[in-house]
Amino acid sequence: MSWKIWSLKKSPWVFHVNTGACNNCDIEIVNLLTPKFDVERFGIKLVGSPRHADALLVTGVVTRQAAPRLREVYRQTSKPCVVFAMGACACDTGIFRSGYHVVGPVDKIIREIDPNAIIAYVPGCPPKPEAMISGIVKALSIL
Amino acid sequence: MNQEELNNKLLEIKDKLTAVEQPADNRIYLACEAENAYAVNKFLFEDVPLRFVIATGIDSDDCFEVLYHYAYDETGCMITLKVFIRDRENPTIESIAPFLPGAEWIEREIHDILGIEFKNHPDMRRLILADDWPEGVYPLRKDAKGPAERPDGEPSTRPTIQTQSPARRTVPLAKPVIAVGPFHPLQEEMEFFQLTVDGEIVTDIDMRISYNHRGIEKISESLQFDQVAFLVSRVCGICSASHPLAYVQAVEELAGVKPPERALYVRTIINELERIHSHILWVGLAGHFIGYDTVFMWAWKYREPVLDLLEEITGNRNNYGNVKVGGCREDIPNELKPKILKEMDKLEKKMDMLTKAVLDDPVLHARLKGVGVLSKEDAIKYAVTGPTARGSGVAIDVRRDDPYALYGDLDWNVISQPQGDVFAKAVVRLLEVFESIKMIRQAVKRIPDGPIAVEVKEIPPGEGVGHVEAPRGETFHYVRSDGGNRPVRHKIRAPSFVNVPSFRASCIGEHIADVTITLAAVDPCYSCTERLAVVDQHSNVIHDYEALLRLSRDKTAQIRKELGTQGIKMEDL
Repeated sequence: MSWKIWSLKKSPWVFHVNTGACNNCDIEIVNLLTPKFDVERFGIKLVGSPRHADALLVTGVVTRQAAPRLREVYRQTSKPCVVFAMGACACDTGIFRSGYHVVGPVDKIIREIDPNAIIAYVPGCPPKPEAMISGIVKALSIL
Repeated sequence: MNQEELNNKLLEIKDKLTAVEQPADNRIYLACEAENAYAVNKFLFEDVPLRFVIATGIDSDDCFEVLYHYAYDETGCMITLKVFIRDRENPTIESIAPFLPGAEWIEREIHDILGIEFKNHPDMRRLILADDWPEGVYPLRKDAKGPAERPDGEPSTRPTIQTQSPARRTVPLAKPVIAVGPFHPLQEEMEFFQLTVDGEIVTDIDMRISYNHRGIEKISESLQFDQVAFLVSRVCGICSASHPLAYVQAVEELAGVKPPERALYVRTIINELERIHSHILWVGLAGHFIGYDTVFMWAWKYREPVLDLLEEITGNRNNYGNVKVGGCREDIPNELKPKILKEMDKLEKKMDMLTKAVLDDPVLHARLKGVGVLSKEDAIKYAVTGPTARGSGVAIDVRRDDPYALYGDLDWNVISQPQGDVFAKAVVRLLEVFESIKMIRQAVKRIPDGPIAVEVKEIPPGEGVGHVEAPRGETFHYVRSDGGNRPVRHKIRAPSFVNVPSFRASCIGEHIADVTITLAAVDPCYSCTERLAVVDQHSNVIHDYEALLRLSRDKTAQIRKELGTQGIKMEDL
């Protein structure tokens, strides 16, 4: 295990990107920080800049206007960076599949600029906070 | 004015109208031709006067229709003015935005999605579609190839907001600006603000949306009436009980369906639980913005039992999917009633403590009073709703004005405050939590036994409007059916659509340090403050989001020092 991966697993700093979500997954992500779930006890911290982030928590379908911004945010992260597709929309566009302003699920947009990106999926509408924690822990443990 | 006087008043302009229909006491449909639209709208808004709700653009077979929806809150009457634009090649209509700034955004939206020109509109930039969406492709026209058409082609050359970073900006800016957005770590959705500043004072504000536009109104036309309720609960995750309820009420009005009594109780309880968790959520975030992270943590902790209750009733913490045309899908089991009452007792005590801690705090008084004032006149002009309107002395509440579900039978008060500042909005939200607790108690105690849904076989041709008081304000849905199994047009107006443009009235003249809390004060469904750079051309100082949050918090700390208080102590809570 390289020291980079080792350090990433110890305390992943995450940046939250909403690319066209309905707020549900986003609110549940904020919920992770609050007393009931409190992910900071695992060293997981929400940061204000993608440049500080080890992981991106992406929620929502990628809309046409948001796609270039998502690519830009991914470019700005330091690699290796794990991308978490949070919720049904981010995983596979969900109920918004046939929208004219929707360009695709998160993995499609990220793979356009980085075919080898590490992408983890947490399905659910919205995923329960417990599912999000479990998803993050699982993804980090197989790195 | 009672309903009869209102009817007579509307008849004053009848020589300009082509049709007047009144399917129910408090539903009026007027019709006129495009050339009279401006005069009739001006009459309705200024002379009657009605509250502007929203406009709907429709592509009918032989013409375009623009529907202007108004509300008369004293009698709960919804008035819809149908304007027919016969010229399909060059659809044009006079803009009403010059006298009604609340209509500015919706006219831009209709232009984007249907291609209708609005003459004399002050600002016809692109609003709802992406920057690279080709010009001349209108997704809501019926000749568009279905909801999944994603056209390529030459991107629009219409001017848009300067969203680029300073290094890549092609047009130099005349004045220093602050770019706010489109990402933020704590707020939920994307939204881009541009503040023009003079030193510390904000002199102008501009906004760009579209990041979150998913084309729900178009997708809705491809789903069956029963499926649409699931789609609209995903318009906004926090209003995921209000949107389906408004839609279902519109369809029930259209089809003449009356849900059974128990269903009305279930709907009321779920909607009030939603309001409680949404208002507590806001108090927490507002606390975070001004540097009171203790308030943030405590508020969100108190919110959890409410979500647990909702999960126990509907099976999900958000996105309940519980309401359907003709009733509800899931019942509240009778054995859950004592638990709901117990949780309400606990919550009331905790909220009492939190409210006192927030409202008695001298620092918060100094920090929030007189900040971000939205005057009553502006509130009416921008047609704002919900706590934003009630905090500015406009005491409107759909639950009282046009009672739906059970609200007509419950004992509760509409909370309003005259000041219009951030503090008033906080007071409104905090006190509304107690009203909601009161309503839930009454509903749970009186809930009758019986079925929770009636069978609905067919949706006849026709149209209906449904509106519901969501936590952020009035959620409005308009549904039109041609007798098939899908809506031919479904218009959704979320409360933030009218509340957000009011920033132009409340932010200008404020200090930069007060902007974050002013933006947050309307509880926008998409407020974003991340990736924020303050550019001052004179000094070339570039701040980022963290710096702005720090400015806001420093101001709180400064006030605290001057007042000589220690802030909130643990024992106070």
